[in-house]
Amino acid sequence: MGLEHRNNVKVEGSGPATLIFSHGFGCDQTMWGYLYRHFTSRFRVVMYDLVGAGQSDLSAYDRAKYSSLTGYAQDLNEVIEQYAIGPVIIVGHSVSAMIGALADRQVPNRIAAHVMVGPSPCYIDSEDYVGGFKLADIHSLLDTLDSNYLGWSSTMAPVIMGAPGQPALSEELTNSFCRTEPEIARQFARVTFMSDNRMDVVGLMTPTLILQSSEDLIAPLAVGEYLHAALPASSLCIVDNVGHCPHMSAPSACSEAMDTFLSPWAGQHVD
Amino acid sequence: MSTDEPLLPDFKALFENAPCGLVVTSEDGTILTSNSTFSNWIGVSASEMRGRRFQGLLPMGGRIFHQTHWAPLMQMQGSVAEVKLDLIHRDGHIVTMLLNGVRRNHPSGAFYELALFGTTERDRYERELLAARKHAEELLSEKTATEVALRQTKAELSLAYEQSQRRALFAEQMVAIASHDLKNPLTAIKMATDFLAREERSAKETKLLEHISQSSDRAQRMIADLLDLARVRVGQGIGIIRRPIDLHKIVSQTLNELHMAFPRAVLRHQSAGEGALELDADRMQQMIGNLVANSVAYGDLSQPITIRSILEDGVALVTVHNSGPEIPRAAIGTLFEPMTRNSERDEGVRSVGLGLFIVREIAKAHGGEVTVASNSSDGTMFQVSIPTSGHSLR
Repeated sequence: MGLEHRNNVKVEGSGPATLIFSHGFGCDQTMWGYLYRHFTSRFRVVMYDLVGAGQSDLSAYDRAKYSSLTGYAQDLNEVIEQYAIGPVIIVGHSVSAMIGALADRQVPNRIAAHVMVGPSPCYIDSEDYVGGFKLADIHSLLDTLDSNYLGWSSTMAPVIMGAPGQPALSEELTNSFCRTEPEIARQFARVTFMSDNRMDVVGLMTPTLILQSSEDLIAPLAVGEYLHAALPASSLCIVDNVGHCPHMSAPSACSEAMDTFLSPWAGQHVD
Repeated sequence: MSTDEPLLPDFKALFENAPCGLVVTSEDGTILTSNSTFSNWIGVSASEMRGRRFQGLLPMGGRIFHQTHWAPLMQMQGSVAEVKLDLIHRDGHIVTMLLNGVRRNHPSGAFYELALFGTTERDRYERELLAARKHAEELLSEKTATEVALRQTKAELSLAYEQSQRRALFAEQMVAIASHDLKNPLTAIKMATDFLAREERSAKETKLLEHISQSSDRAQRMIADLLDLARVRVGQGIGIIRRPIDLHKIVSQTLNELHMAFPRAVLRHQSAGEGALELDADRMQQMIGNLVANSVAYGDLSQPITIRSILEDGVALVTVHNSGPEIPRAAIGTLFEPMTRNSERDEGVRSVGLGLFIVREIAKAHGGEVTVASNSSDGTMFQVSIPTSGHSLR
């Protein structure tokens, strides 16, 4: 089975290095819509959907393989293997930032740099760590997912796909964005929010840009600072933004910070 | 147009008292204005609400869902519909609502215009549906697990069956080979003994030759018995060949031979009834021989052993009676099982503890059965009943 079909891989632009955009929990690659075009003139840009999300091949969803982030990291390395040309920079949002770190651990020295957007190595608080959530919060999320996915099967779009008063909205967008089969959504939510990748990030020497929102419920400032301290070659950039998706709500602030960070790998700007 | 026509409510009144909650926020969720319907539903006044974040009204699960699902949707798609949300009422209880929202752009950003509908009753129903679906899914997975276990058990069973078939075949072959190979040397011994006995012998030599002859006869009987046991055990049962016979004649012939084998016993034959029947004559002889040998071994030999052959309507009976001690009650149950013996008495007439077992199997092979009655006053009587052709015992 081809990766293009399995992960709905899209390639745009060209340049001496490859940027691979990996989306987070809840959505798919269309969430990079405001950001990626900024880079296509200087980079080869690869975007893909995690298996189970967006327009990925749902039949490839293997509950055992995706019972931890390791399975997703394997997929990412396969995408790198097949699509990357030159140095590889992973732009990972939220849980995908950790998938990138795991992929880096699996195949050392293949990834040249990480851009982590709203990353968190561990969501649940423990004795000496503040992740921002309690276990009960995660169960509350699972309940919310359940009640929003009630009554639709894998062949139906979720109810939240409706777009009142916007009939002109493209079918493609409404049918793929945020579409997840309920059982997959449950497992992915569990895998995402129960994961603890603190030991995987500590001492990871790959250059990393952390794009941290000034106010983010999912990845609070303290988590960004923790990660900055754990990653020796990281720089922490605080983007003035409320919410977990600065690449959507503050795309120019993000691209500005990324331009500086990515300059060693960028190609000549072509207009 | 009449001047009595009531005035339509103005827009302010429409907004405040609309039959749904209306909220306008900035992009980051800060509440700019909200109507009194919404205030009534969640117990927070509009002025208290202003400046707070809408997502602050949600429990944690809803806030995460907001961040990961519908906030990105509002960004990318400009709207959401029918998002189900729990909101926290001022007094702490949960109010379930459905949310529709649109993003309306203005020169310096966008407003999020939200309409909320109470859905508490429907929510209760949906939760029941959800619980029912979960229950159904659990049952399905239980069923699937049971089916898997069943398949596995079946596979194990069929494997065990195959193994036992192979073992049975092996045992059968072993017994056949062993008995065949044992029979030949025994026949040679017997022939040589007979040959030697024909010439003039001293008394001692004659006695020794008799011993050899009797012992090899006994060994031959044992082999025959063991062969029968093996056949029964591998499930074939004892083979019989039915031919028309005269039962009374068979019994009396058998007794003539047994007189010589058991010179110390008095054997009496009584017969009654007439009729044609088809039985295996050799097996009948073997059966009577085993029963008489049993009586000789355990009975009181000062009294005669009585053998009756009786032909009644539809059934042939052979009974063997001896006086003597009662068979212990505990032993009756296993009397016909192989390798069981009532005592350690051995008068040279014993086989390997298969005699009564073979009696039962011969009776069975003829569609019949064997029963025993024993007490201290009447002695012991075995009765073999065999249905005559066309009849069945049960």
